[in-house]
Amino acid sequence: MRTRGGVLVANIIAGLALGFTVANIGFGDYAELNRMFTFQDLRMFLAFAGAVGIIVVVFALIGVRRTPGRIHAGVIPGAVLFGTGWAISGGCPAIPIVQVASGYLPALVTIAGVIVGIRLCRWANAKYFHLDRGSCGL
Amino acid sequence: MSNYWPWWAGAIGLALVTISYTLTTDRSLGVSSAWDRVLHWRTERHLERLDAQFTDDRALTDALVAATAEHFGTFPGAPTLPNAAHEDATTHGQDVGPTSGASAPVASRRPAPVVTQAALLLSIFLGGWVAAVTGGRFKLRFDMGSGFRELVTANSTTMIGVLFIGGVLVGFGTRLAGGCSSGHGLSGCGQLRPVSILATAVFFGTAVLVSFLLWKVI
Repeated sequence: MRTRGGVLVANIIAGLALGFTVANIGFGDYAELNRMFTFQDLRMFLAFAGAVGIIVVVFALIGVRRTPGRIHAGVIPGAVLFGTGWAISGGCPAIPIVQVASGYLPALVTIAGVIVGIRLCRWANAKYFHLDRGSCGL
Repeated sequence: MSNYWPWWAGAIGLALVTISYTLTTDRSLGVSSAWDRVLHWRTERHLERLDAQFTDDRALTDALVAATAEHFGTFPGAPTLPNAAHEDATTHGQDVGPTSGASAPVASRRPAPVVTQAALLLSIFLGGWVAAVTGGRFKLRFDMGSGFRELVTANSTTMIGVLFIGGVLVGFGTRLAGGCSSGHGLSGCGQLRPVSILATAVFFGTAVLVSFLLWKVI
């Protein structure tokens, strides 16, 4: 399924399934998220780790080729910023969408922040960082 | 709040989404990349048009080469087409970096068209809404729930500030690191990519540290 229409359908199905799954696991619930990150409740952590485990096995069995990616200077600082932002706002880029869809209206502010951050990163990378492709989409 | 899925159902759900997306599209699932490209849709559309033009030009050249070969016969060592510029123009925007090769899954050099990535973000909203409604959790509210109130702030002005700054950190950080919990965490770690494992360990570790600070200290 490599046609434009096929990719569109695959994205719609993946989006519906991802939103449905992420919301039902409870990633949109700030209290659950904090309990995961402080290891008070391993349920969501196991869901994530279990998914990675299944994906590793299936990808290995069907021979999915690894997409190469260099460890560039932006990886660690970027991950530190992301981890901090996730812990305080409760959002990775998909979660605020699910939060708004669940009725948490202030998550619209998180989405606004994500939009500003993403635009800021591409601008800053073009102007100052000049990191290799794969970072900031450049 | 106990009507969330058990861990194994969540694991199977996330794995199914990631695996089926990879197999059907030859691409890695990445939400922050989708955001990035949708927000820069003008640039991305321009690149897509350039890409289509390159493809057309290449098809024309290929046809001319084939016709010439048919007419004059082929020679060993015939000049090959310069593809460097073409490939350079098509490797932008991958959540998990450029890819190479064309035979195995996850080998497409082109990111998914920007329209399809906008559809991905909208579908996440719909899927989340269906889950909230069917799970009996949907409720329009102007706060982020009791957990946020107890752990972060009960003041709504401070809440807006925290959410905005947190959002900026998430947006900036994921693009600087080249991926988020789906691109690095699920797709990347699933492929055992060193850069994704490093990024996931660092963002998860940082989130653990900050969450403990919020829980115990602040």
